[in-house]
Amino acid sequence: MRMAPAALFATLTLCAGVVTPVVAAELTIPPIQYHERTLPNGLQVISVEDHASPNVAVQMWYHVGSRDDPQHRSGFAHLFEHLMFKSTKHLHAEQFDRLTEDVGGANNASTGDDATNYFEVVPSNHLNTLLWAEAERLSGLTVDEKNFQSERAVVEEEYRQSVLANPYGKLFNEIDPKSYTVHPYRRPTIGSIEDLEAASLPDVIAFHQTFYRPDNATLIVAGDFNPQQLEVWVDQYFGWIPKPATPIPQITAREPVRKKDLRYTITSETAPLPAVAMTWLLPPAADSADSIALQVAAALLAQGESSRLYQSLVYRHQVAQQAGAEAEPRVGPGLFTAYAILASGHQPAEAEKLLHQEIIWLATQPIPAAELAKVKTQLLTSELKQRQTAQGLAFALGQATLIGGNPQRVNSDLVALQKVSADDVHRVLQKYVTGARSVTIDYLPQAKAAPTAARGAAK
Amino acid sequence: MNHAIGLRAGKILRVAIYAAMAATAGSVLAATAPATPAAATAAGFPTQPPAPGAAPALNLPTPSTQTLANGLQVISAHRAGLPLVTAQLVLRSGGEMDPPQLAGLADLTANLLTKGAAGKTAPQIASAAEALGGSLSAAAGWDESAVDITVTTPMLPQALKLLASVVRQPDFTAPELQRAQTQAVDDLQLLLSRPTALAALAMDRSVFGAGAYGHSRMGTPASIARISRADVQRLHATLYRPDNAILILTGDITPARAQQLAQASFGDWPRPATPVPPAPAGIAASNVPAVLLIDQHGAGQAGVMAAHVAPPRRAAEYYVGMVANAVLGGSYSARLNEEIRIKRGLSYGATSGLQLRRNTGMWRAAVQTKNPSAAQVVELLLGEFKRLGTTRVAAPELAARKATMIGSYGRSLETTSGLANQLAGLAVYDIKLDEISRYVQRVQAVTPRQIEQYARAHLAAKNSKVVVVGDVAQFGAAMRQAHPQAQVLPSSALDLDRPDLRSALPTN
Repeated sequence: MRMAPAALFATLTLCAGVVTPVVAAELTIPPIQYHERTLPNGLQVISVEDHASPNVAVQMWYHVGSRDDPQHRSGFAHLFEHLMFKSTKHLHAEQFDRLTEDVGGANNASTGDDATNYFEVVPSNHLNTLLWAEAERLSGLTVDEKNFQSERAVVEEEYRQSVLANPYGKLFNEIDPKSYTVHPYRRPTIGSIEDLEAASLPDVIAFHQTFYRPDNATLIVAGDFNPQQLEVWVDQYFGWIPKPATPIPQITAREPVRKKDLRYTITSETAPLPAVAMTWLLPPAADSADSIALQVAAALLAQGESSRLYQSLVYRHQVAQQAGAEAEPRVGPGLFTAYAILASGHQPAEAEKLLHQEIIWLATQPIPAAELAKVKTQLLTSELKQRQTAQGLAFALGQATLIGGNPQRVNSDLVALQKVSADDVHRVLQKYVTGARSVTIDYLPQAKAAPTAARGAAK
Repeated sequence: MNHAIGLRAGKILRVAIYAAMAATAGSVLAATAPATPAAATAAGFPTQPPAPGAAPALNLPTPSTQTLANGLQVISAHRAGLPLVTAQLVLRSGGEMDPPQLAGLADLTANLLTKGAAGKTAPQIASAAEALGGSLSAAAGWDESAVDITVTTPMLPQALKLLASVVRQPDFTAPELQRAQTQAVDDLQLLLSRPTALAALAMDRSVFGAGAYGHSRMGTPASIARISRADVQRLHATLYRPDNAILILTGDITPARAQQLAQASFGDWPRPATPVPPAPAGIAASNVPAVLLIDQHGAGQAGVMAAHVAPPRRAAEYYVGMVANAVLGGSYSARLNEEIRIKRGLSYGATSGLQLRRNTGMWRAAVQTKNPSAAQVVELLLGEFKRLGTTRVAAPELAARKATMIGSYGRSLETTSGLANQLAGLAVYDIKLDEISRYVQRVQAVTPRQIEQYARAHLAAKNSKVVVVGDVAQFGAAMRQAHPQAQVLPSSALDLDRPDLRSALPTN
């Protein structure tokens, strides 16, 4: 369907408040006018025209992520994502780079908990080629042992780079395992060296057959294209791919409500300063009434230097070097996270106390109207910045469709954002955070056995 | 100067370094007649990639520039579409102006601009900027310092007033200086705990020695502690002046409106009678060993770098160097990543880059790999630098890498902030702005012979510099076998303030 042009105009009253004189300006954000259809084999196709540049973005989103890693194969969905750039029936390894980079385009892919996306941007005359290539790797992946081995080594280096060589990598990698007890979100997306080493070529073939199928995918095309031509190419390249008779495996695990507060300690050989992170369980992202209010709460706490956590922990009390909060939407139970990396000479308990204090304050005390207007303006402006590019438009649609559960949310979430009130912020924080149980992780530098570079030139 | 750390690896990318992609630049697709619908059958599926259609042209912006009476250069580029504008105030001076022993002064000064100005405190400035939907970020680079903000069009006049107040009337109060110093030292601790970041700082010394680009632009814990309020005020008074500045406005704005807003916020910014101080020499003799191994005990990976001195930004060979770098390591499919990641699985990514400055420059290739592979990766880096000067680049490879460069360039102009950055990159070096529309033809004109000659002139093996930071116990022996002159420096004995990086280098 095509969205009714005028129906979803998001109008936001922008208040340039707090310090400068209040000057209200009305800014109208036109909705993204996308087109959606589903092929008989179940492939969902979403497209939006934008001729601002002569480029077109092609994205394939699969409803499979690290939540679907096989038993004892943590990190497998992500390893698999890398292998989608290897050989297929009619493409040799890395030929995707020939079809994108070599003609002035670019490609990449990412794996999350719930979804895996493959995304390209190319000069628009290459749309035909890219649609064919995405259909090709959906229908004809043929990875061999040699490519499998070398790409697995790359992913192991990626693990070392993001977890071992990053001083806070180990902390952020442990948040999910410590925050969930039953749900497969408890497995870290990057996995472990041990599980990666256990993966084999037959696992790859089985995973492709199970999850890479038209009825488990969404194709998104944004940018400079002709819509009638797009339909013809999509039908030709994707229409013939059969829909398997077998059902798509579903996650049935239910994460239980936390009964008590839990606490863990992790040590690091490389982190120069301690850190603390706290999490609470959230409802699925499809619960839009609460999820938008939670985004606003996280922004009030942590978006920018005027945010409450920065002002308290970093600026006034100077106990933290960085502080943050995030309401992460997921298809299943999400996480509200608050964290701080300590300033030198301070301990996690000091930051933890202030994080709690600011959250309780926000959950119970009046929120000034100007402050609420400020975060809405911030969120709206960053949304507009994302929509400057074809790739940004496609990402917004993919996130709305696969994580939010409906492409319409790309527009309706902006309308919902404007309606969030101080009461809504109070209600969701009290329900999911201050009235619920937390998991706290203390992250401590390990006493060093040998000198490290952390001091640099300190004398 | 906060080095933000992502909260979680919620999504993991295939490619490590990934330039955000973008779109904007009017072009209209010629109406294409729909093809006859093909039968949706497996038999109808082509067995090779369908050929592309006719290539669309890049639509490039036309920047306008004028100079106010006080010497401020005002540049604007109109981009229709969304109601967004980026405003960027750029000074033609950065970290190279740090006085000896005061490494980090220019960056600390830029950082302090938004921490109190014209009667507003730091929290008030942050609130004001964020209520406009943007954030004011200020930092010093090499050869430039910049403050910028991106807002929706109706907010622009107020955003510019705020921008002008922090640039022109900063308070530099003692408590804010102290706070910034404490934060800068913690930032440095974080930075220095990453092997590649530490290798980069050591490489600056190795290539530029005691020259102005050799020191740490973010300072060192010792140099940051030495900075006084008077130092900050002096640097600001000397360099933050209209005849050393450029105001860039990109996006939903006309040249006339840009001129009018610039005059309103900066027209009465007085120009000092004294001349702008000249830029110092960026490079001087280096006495850092050509192969330096820095021991970071327990490092999770090794950061490996190889580098060469490069001609400055305004050199005639600019485009030859850029295309040569595109072949060597400028993208995923370039030679370094092909040899190190794709063929051998030794790293998540291998890249090279050119850092071209006012009076010199640097070629630098960088890789993170597991400690035991460090020596092998060094040889691969050096081998690829050498190959550029010994074997002529084949035509198909060159065409592909040029296409990658041009595509990436076009996408960099699609956002208001990307466009502002490209314009700033030309303006700080006094390069004519119409160069922005000549990029494609200049890149296409580079020949394989020019690349080979360039590599022979600038990338000779005898002049290469190598720095490896990691757990030396795991690669030191292999390194010394290939490079008997390699020297080891324990990270505890490293002093980035000194041109030789050390007070007492142990012999080995």
